[in-house]
Amino acid sequence: MTINAVPDHVPPEMVRDFSLFTSPGMAPTPNGDPHAAVACVHAGPPIFYSPYNTRDGRGTWVITRAADQRRVLQDAETFSSHRSIFSSALGENWPMIPLELDPPAHGVFRSLLNPLLSPKRVVVLEPKVRERAITLILRIAASGTSCDVMKDFAFPFTVSIFLRLLGLPDHRLDTFVGWAKDLLHGDDVKRPAAARTIVAFIDELATKRRKEPVDDFMTFIVQAQVEGRRLTEEEVRGIGVLVFIAGLDTVAAAIGFGLAYLARNIKDQDLLRREPDRIVLAAEELLRAYPSVQIIRVATKDIDFEGAPIRKGDYVSCAAMIANRDPAEFECPNTVDLAREDNRHAAFGYGPHRCLGSHLARREIVIGLEEWLARIPAFRIQNATAPITSGGHLFGIENLILDWS
Amino acid sequence: MRIIVHKAKCQGHARCSAQAPDVFKLDDEGYILPGDIEVAEGGQLLASRGARSCPERALELDPTPAARVVPDAIEPRVWRA
Ligand code: HEM
Ligand code: SF4
Repeated sequence: MTINAVPDHVPPEMVRDFSLFTSPGMAPTPNGDPHAAVACVHAGPPIFYSPYNTRDGRGTWVITRAADQRRVLQDAETFSSHRSIFSSALGENWPMIPLELDPPAHGVFRSLLNPLLSPKRVVVLEPKVRERAITLILRIAASGTSCDVMKDFAFPFTVSIFLRLLGLPDHRLDTFVGWAKDLLHGDDVKRPAAARTIVAFIDELATKRRKEPVDDFMTFIVQAQVEGRRLTEEEVRGIGVLVFIAGLDTVAAAIGFGLAYLARNIKDQDLLRREPDRIVLAAEELLRAYPSVQIIRVATKDIDFEGAPIRKGDYVSCAAMIANRDPAEFECPNTVDLAREDNRHAAFGYGPHRCLGSHLARREIVIGLEEWLARIPAFRIQNATAPITSGGHLFGIENLILDWS
Repeated sequence: MRIIVHKAKCQGHARCSAQAPDVFKLDDEGYILPGDIEVAEGGQLLASRGARSCPERALELDPTPAARVVPDAIEPRVWRA
């Protein structure tokens, strides 16, 4: 690991040896618990500077309290999202939309997209989501008494819902799962290659829908108007790419961490199986305990924030896994209590960029758990196997071999 | 009981309406409708749960003040020996 120079304006006493990438428990670890590993920051100061806290090794301020994260994320004027992470990895410069836009442009696109994934719309999508879950689980149940939840259920499930959203047939499922895997977990060769493939695919799909409109997401986007004009090709691409990557790993990780918890906690598993009405609340607690996203903002001006001299251009990290273990916000934050009420967790972020797909994601997770528990008898982690977990920009779980023999 | 709606803070999490859909009405984008909400007698428990579920703190509970205690109903006391 390279040791980065800490900027001069950061007081040395505010620097801590902590990183979502390199701290203990963050590297791929068999039977790891990266969420518990980061919760230890609450024993220290509420804000500190981490010299190495992004994938490309940059330093960030780390905001640990939920209340402070809310302040940062609600103030898009001071804390900007403008970063073009995805395209800059390709040596290009276009934003993922709406993720990497700031207000007021953000609001224009957000309003355009909100109805497509609103709570009402999700009610309409629900039957298809449930049908997909049932099909996949029935196939698993018919083929034996163990499976790898990630490979056999979580990924195909989330990818196929994305395909439905885009109006694409399921026979391309494996191709897409492969792209997603390479993009999210590939090495330095596979990652950009997958990124290029996805961009080319989105561009091609947009061209096709412009020529032959159908009733789907992409047709809506290419026909849409903002401020009295059609969207540019770059804008269409920015939306398409974001919707592709935003809902795959995140939902899969939530399902994986959730089922791993239930596999290790048989009492909770039995309770949810016997009383499935509890699943909606339980899913919120699992999202609180095992969220996947670290949000990063860039300061647009100098600001002294709760004693931290944040300067223009500094990166500010608001990790949901840290906010969700804040003892000032949650009683006994390190205890998973599936009946927890008033659970205002940060898994979907705060402020104007609050996850656009949160309503769909919640339904996918609840439906996934409901159908799994209804169709798979008491399950545990298979002997002599260990789920590999990892930290980083997106916390994840690589494999989860369950056994119900 | 009244719920004060800070519309500008709402980011459309829809947690309020998940708790109490009859109390918290959302627009087509999934954001809360503007205007404070007067909660009917029986709906208070769900409504306050809904308000407490807002991650953005956009919903503020404004309980009707408790009936005032008439001062002379309280035994006057002299704290002096
Ligand atoms: C459990 C699953 C998910 C989690 C934990 C999650 C988390 C998040 C978070 C934390 C943000 C805020 C990012 C920021 O403020 O910079 C976000 C934004 C976003 N998410 Fe999700 N997400 C999930 C599923 C989905 C799904 C299924 C979709 C799409 C179908 C989706 C689409 C989006 C989009 C489009 C944005 C950008 C919103 C904006 O910038 O206004 N997400 N997500
Ligand atoms: S929970 Fe809060 S942010 Fe979400 S819709 Fe209701 S008022 Fe808006």
